[in-house]
Amino acid sequence: MKKITLFLLSAFFLSTTVFAGGYQVRLQGNKQNGMGLVGTSLNMGSSSIFYNPGALSLMKDKLHFEVGASGIMSNIDFQMEGTNSNWQPNNPVSTPFYVYGAGKINEMISVGVGVYTPYGSTAKWDEDWAGKFLIQDIALKAIFIQPTISFNFNNKFGIGAGFILATGDVEINKAINYSDNAKANLKGSTLSYGFNVGAYYQATDKLSFGIDYRSKITMKMEGGDATFTIPTALQTTIPPTNKFDAELPLPANLDFSVAYQATDKLLLAFELDWVMWGVYKNLEFTFEEKGELLNSSDPREYKDTFIPRLGAQYAVNSKLHLRAGMYYDQSPTNEDYFTPETVSLNTFAYTLGLSYSPIDMLSIDVSFLQLFGQKAEKSYVPDNFNGTYQSITYIPGLGVSFKF
Amino acid sequence: MKIRYFVYLVLFAFLASCKPEVNEFTPSKGTADFTTYVALGNSLTAGYADGALYKSGQMYSFANILGQQFETVGGGKFVQPVVNSEFGVLPGKLKLGYSIDCLGVTGLGPVSDAGDLDSYTNHVDYAVNNMGVPGAKVIHLLAPGYGNIQNLPLGLANPYFVKFAATPDITVLEQALSLSPTFFSLWIGNNDVLGYATSGGVGDAITPVDQFGGAYAMLVQNLTQGGAKGVLANIPSITDAAFFTTIPYNIVAIPDTMQYAVDALNAAYAGYNAAMEQMGKPYRIHFQLGPNPMVIQDPGMEGVPEPLMFRQMTANELALLTLPQDSIKCATWGSAIPVPNQYILTETEIANVTEAITQFNDIIKSTATNNDLAFVDFNAIMHQVATTGLMFEGVTFTPTFVQGNLFSLDGIHLTPQANALVANYYIDAINAKYSANVPKVSITSYPPIQFP
Repeated sequence: MKKITLFLLSAFFLSTTVFAGGYQVRLQGNKQNGMGLVGTSLNMGSSSIFYNPGALSLMKDKLHFEVGASGIMSNIDFQMEGTNSNWQPNNPVSTPFYVYGAGKINEMISVGVGVYTPYGSTAKWDEDWAGKFLIQDIALKAIFIQPTISFNFNNKFGIGAGFILATGDVEINKAINYSDNAKANLKGSTLSYGFNVGAYYQATDKLSFGIDYRSKITMKMEGGDATFTIPTALQTTIPPTNKFDAELPLPANLDFSVAYQATDKLLLAFELDWVMWGVYKNLEFTFEEKGELLNSSDPREYKDTFIPRLGAQYAVNSKLHLRAGMYYDQSPTNEDYFTPETVSLNTFAYTLGLSYSPIDMLSIDVSFLQLFGQKAEKSYVPDNFNGTYQSITYIPGLGVSFKF
Repeated sequence: MKIRYFVYLVLFAFLASCKPEVNEFTPSKGTADFTTYVALGNSLTAGYADGALYKSGQMYSFANILGQQFETVGGGKFVQPVVNSEFGVLPGKLKLGYSIDCLGVTGLGPVSDAGDLDSYTNHVDYAVNNMGVPGAKVIHLLAPGYGNIQNLPLGLANPYFVKFAATPDITVLEQALSLSPTFFSLWIGNNDVLGYATSGGVGDAITPVDQFGGAYAMLVQNLTQGGAKGVLANIPSITDAAFFTTIPYNIVAIPDTMQYAVDALNAAYAGYNAAMEQMGKPYRIHFQLGPNPMVIQDPGMEGVPEPLMFRQMTANELALLTLPQDSIKCATWGSAIPVPNQYILTETEIANVTEAITQFNDIIKSTATNNDLAFVDFNAIMHQVATTGLMFEGVTFTPTFVQGNLFSLDGIHLTPQANALVANYYIDAINAKYSANVPKVSITSYPPIQFP
């Protein structure tokens, strides 16, 4: 009994869509979205609250506001090893958004606040699909609130820091192999803290550098609600309602970036993001009741990844900017512990974008990304669950920014 | 107006929209021909489960699963002799339910699931591909009259074959050959030892090896004569089945408060121990608080007078699932009254079973080799299940009764998920032998044991 129950509780928490290399898309500004998500060496107004608080004090306007959203439409196809059986999750469109506002207090100091959703998506496999004992569906909604302060020295070098208050809601369903339709539902909320610090250096009129560090945030779920839909006969063994604790690390990021104004019209930027996935070793659950039966620890053994990004912006005229970019996002997953809760494949992406300013104070920012999760055969060895995955994701985005 | 740039972008997004498509698997029949697949065997082939051959259990027979998978590589329709009842052809269907034991304690376990049967007198008039006959031994597939209702009272016929035999005296083999099979599976031989084993070594005899070998060779020779290809499977180590491993040898539990019972039993057996000592026999009976080995009848005790042919069971012996536990709890079976031999497999009997299985499996293996047929080593697979368990798609398979996912409620026949597992092993063997690419099935698509 114990062994079986362990599997049912094994793999869950955040998803692909949320958490994977392939989906750790930082859609936190529709201008940056169009440039391969390069942002740390760019000075594009209040979205620096996310990309590089160090750049905020160097923003060109007195007041700057940005608001926008994206729609993540992910398509995954899975074929089980040795079969011609395919499954595709019906992932609903998820809509990460951002709101930033920042103002200059004086020439040296800027302050701002950002509300953004760096993690928030859903993976919804069929209730009766082949991997139902690993995961049926998973949904995470996380909102980060980040007040930020930034200083600059001599208008060239800026540093900044923000405090992150992270709220998260997670819900997971997975089937249990006792009778048809038996399942476990796990649901909980977290409140966690972190920080975001960055430095920005405008070396020359044409050349800028940025470095940014966003801390690891451990989402600790305490007293989450576990509901087991199981036959009456088993309810003395597995209580229908229970509480659980679990935690999941959102890894630290260290981003290095350089931007170069090649011509009056053309801006080029390169960025390397170090995502410290190595902290994600195990996924552990501790239950209040029947812990001896239900507690589990399942290996994930992620590894750090480095994401190279390229972005370009071309100013057609003062009203119209066109953007393009690309990046390659390695899967942080371990060969032996790839679960369908997190379909994270090596992913190549291209990005497009444009901004149009009908009047000087307003910019309409549009972006479009396409992500190609490379087809790969993957295994979750503890459950002997093997197959080939591929994913293609579309992410259109729309935002507006105001400056005064 | 720069609206056209927005239009371009939207247009591009539209053009770019394509979906991922994983297609790593190309079904192929290889060098085999699955046009007409015929399955021969016993209850395992028939889809017997939970103590009965009933409609939904039959649907999940490994043979039916194979038949459906073969359809993707040119196989014809696989027809089963459908039992139109969820309760079976004969009474005995089990379900998980509650029962109250002799002590008034309610427990969860297999209980009778009775209802309207689809009797063997309701004859199946269409041609069938699944020739699995529950209870059949090797020799039975060659026996004329095995499907003749007149022979039932004589014990020479089998009601399950009576139900679908094309003519009264046709043999199972003849009926199979009448379909001109291009491919066959033959999983037979279990009952040549199982009947002996499930009756505690008293109800049935193990088939003599020569007879087994002769009949087996004749079956395969006939099946392959027309050029058909096929797959043979050997006999699992049946003593690893839940039927034999669920009831512990030391089930007689004396609570701490009942020292008087220990004393009374030891006093009662003092004479037995003294007699054994006098005869120079190693047998002693001793009770203590806590779990105690059952006292069992053993007619195999040499040099012991018949009234004294009982002893305490050893850890190497097996109690059968059919042992009435109420008799242990309330009628002093296993303590004051020796458990009848029919509920126990003694070490000698286990050795007989094991030896027979080894000999039969040698025959099956060499027949497969000599005829260049695919071969599935279920004996090795069962051994793996019993020692380490198996895991597929998050489903564990162990021999543990009910919870092990392998055995249905009768402790011997398979669950739907286990049938899918078995079908996948067949497919592996077939693909390897015939360079085919028959798709396997997802085990999780099949139901687990249903709890109330």
